Amino acid sequence: MKRNPFPMIVLLLVLAFLYLPIIVLTANSFNLSRFGGAWEGFTLNWYHQLIRDDDVWIAFANSLLIAAGATLSSCVLGTTAALALHRWKTPLQNVHYGLIYTPLVIPEILMGISLLLAFTAAGIDCGLHTILLAHITFCVSYVAMTVLARLQDFDDSLIEAARDLGANGWVSFIKVQLPLLFPGIVSGGLLAFTLSIDDFVITFFVAGPGASTLPLKIYSMIKHSPKLPVINCLSTVMLMLTFVLVLASRALQNIRHQKTAQKTA
Amino acid sequence: MKAIQPLIAFAFGLALLTGCNAGKPTLYLYTWSDYIDPELVTAFETANHCKVKIDTFDSNEAMYAKVLAGSSGYDIIVPSSYQIPLMVKSDLLQPLDKSKLPNVTAHFSDSYKSLILNPEMVYNIPYAITFTGIGYRKDKVGKAEISWSSFDDPAFKGRISLLNDFRETIGAALKSLGFSLNSTNATELQQACAVVLRWKKNIAKFDNEQYKTGLASSEFLLGHGYSGDIAQLMLDDPANIGFALPKQGFTAACDEMVIPKNARSVDLAHAFINFLYDPDNACKNIQYICAIMPNEHAIAKLPEKYKNNPAILPPKEIMAKAEVLKDLGAANALYSKVWDTIKASE
Repeated sequence: MKRNPFPMIVLLLVLAFLYLPIIVLTANSFNLSRFGGAWEGFTLNWYHQLIRDDDVWIAFANSLLIAAGATLSSCVLGTTAALALHRWKTPLQNVHYGLIYTPLVIPEILMGISLLLAFTAAGIDCGLHTILLAHITFCVSYVAMTVLARLQDFDDSLIEAARDLGANGWVSFIKVQLPLLFPGIVSGGLLAFTLSIDDFVITFFVAGPGASTLPLKIYSMIKHSPKLPVINCLSTVMLMLTFVLVLASRALQNIRHQKTAQKTA
Repeated sequence: MKAIQPLIAFAFGLALLTGCNAGKPTLYLYTWSDYIDPELVTAFETANHCKVKIDTFDSNEAMYAKVLAGSSGYDIIVPSSYQIPLMVKSDLLQPLDKSKLPNVTAHFSDSYKSLILNPEMVYNIPYAITFTGIGYRKDKVGKAEISWSSFDDPAFKGRISLLNDFRETIGAALKSLGFSLNSTNATELQQACAVVLRWKKNIAKFDNEQYKTGLASSEFLLGHGYSGDIAQLMLDDPANIGFALPKQGFTAACDEMVIPKNARSVDLAHAFINFLYDPDNACKNIQYICAIMPNEHAIAKLPEKYKNNPAILPPKEIMAKAEVLKDLGAANALYSKVWDTIKASE
C-alpha cells in the first residue's frame, strides 16, 4: 500500500508555522539591525548588552522565583482540593466546584483589578508577595482540575486493599494514592509553571513598586525600547536551556529503562 | 515521597523571600521602558546615597487603571500629558513644592509653554516633548515633499503605515483639511472621516509599533509615527531614513513627571526631578531618549548630530505649527464613533 504523503505535508507545514517565528527570533538576536526588519550583519553585541543588563536578569529571576513558589504551593493546595472534592459529597458540592472552576473562566483583567482592589482594601502593600498570591490563586485551579481528572479514573479498591493489609489512612495515602496520582500532579504543576511565567495581565495589576517580572519588562520594551534585541537573546538562551533540560530528562529516562530491562533480563 | 516536606518548606521559604526588603532609602520610578539614561540614574544614586528602582508600563490607560485601583508606592510617575487632568480629577496626585525644584525654575524654557498641555505646572513637570510626523525612506521616496497629502499619493500605494490611534490619525486628517486637531465640530469630523477612509485604501496597515521595523526594512516607504522612535531609526541609518513634520500642522505630545498622593519618598522625588533639570544631566538624557526636554541650556550643549536631527529638534518655524492634543472629555465619543466607522469599512 502506497504511503499517502498528505499527512507528512501537513506535519511539515504545522511545524514550520510553529517554529519559523522562533527561528526568526533567534536569528534576529544576532542581527546588527535594532529592528529586525532586514539582515544587516552578524553581531554578538546584543548578547554583550544582555550580560550587562541587570534589570532584565532581575526580572527573569523574579519570574522564576514566583513561578517556582506558585507551582509548589498550588500543587499542594490543588491536590488537597481535588481529593476533598472527590472524596466527600456535601450539599455545597456545586458551590465548591464552582469556586475552583471560576479562575479558569473569568477574564484575566477582571481578576487582576479585583485582586488589586482586594489587596488595597486589606491594606496589603503590593510587591512580589502579592504577585505570588495572585499566581497561586489561579494555578490552584489548574492543578486541582488535572488531579481531579486523574482521580476519576482512580481505582478505590486499591485503597481498600491497602487498609486490608494493615495500613492506616495516612500511610495508604502516602504509599498508594499519592504515587499513583503523581503524574497528574506533575502535569498540573508544569501547566501552573508555564502559566505563571507567562502571565502578564494579572501580574501587571498586582505588581508592586520594584517588583518586575519578565513579561512586564518585555511588554514595556516592545513599546518603547531601543534595546529590544536583548529580549531576543534572552529568549534564545531560555530556549537552549529548555532543550537541554528536555534532552537530559529523556536521556535519564532511557538510562532508567535500560537498567530495568537489564534487571528483568 | 519524603522529598515532599523539604519541598513545601522551600516553597514557603521562597514565599518569604519575595517579601524581603533592603535598607537604603529607595526611590520608585514608574515610567516607559528605557526612557532614562541609566548612567544618570547611577549618578543620582551615588550623589544621594539611595537606590532607584524603575518599573515600566506600556500604556497610559493601564497605568491609570492600576493607580486608580489603589496601587501605591510609586514616587514618580511619567504619564503622557493628556492623562494628567484625569489623574488630578481622580485625586491621585499631589502638588509639587517648587522651592525644592530650583533647577526647574532656573532652566525651564518658557518658549516651550505652548507645547505643554498643563503650563501652570502645579502637579507636573515636563519630561520630554515628542512630535508625531511621517518617517520616510530617503532612498525610495525621491524628491517628493512629504506631508499629510502624501498618504493619498498612488506612488506609495500599499507601502504606508498609519498610527492605530484614533486621536493621532483623525487629527492628521483634520490638519490636512486645515482644522484643529481638537475640533468637536461634527462637519469637520465628517470630512476628516472621509479623508481617512480615502487614505485607508492606499495604506498597508494601521500599526503603533511595527512601523519602525517596516521602515528599517523598506517594507514601508512612509510611516506615520512618533519622533522618538524615528529618531532612533535615523541615528542608526542616517543616509536612508528621514523625518517630515507636515507644514499643515502636527501633534506635539509631552510626557511629564508627577508625584502621586501616596508617594513615600517625596523629598527624594523632588530631588530627582531637580537633578534631571540640571543642564548637563538633561543634555545627556536628551541624547539617550532622543526627545527634547524643555531646557534651553541643555539643548544648547547638544552635539551637532542631535541638534540637526529634525526628529529630535525641529527648526523653530516648524515647531510653531505643532498643536497639543487636549483631552476632550465627553467629546471623545465623537472621535470614537468616527474611528469605528473607519475601522469597520472596507
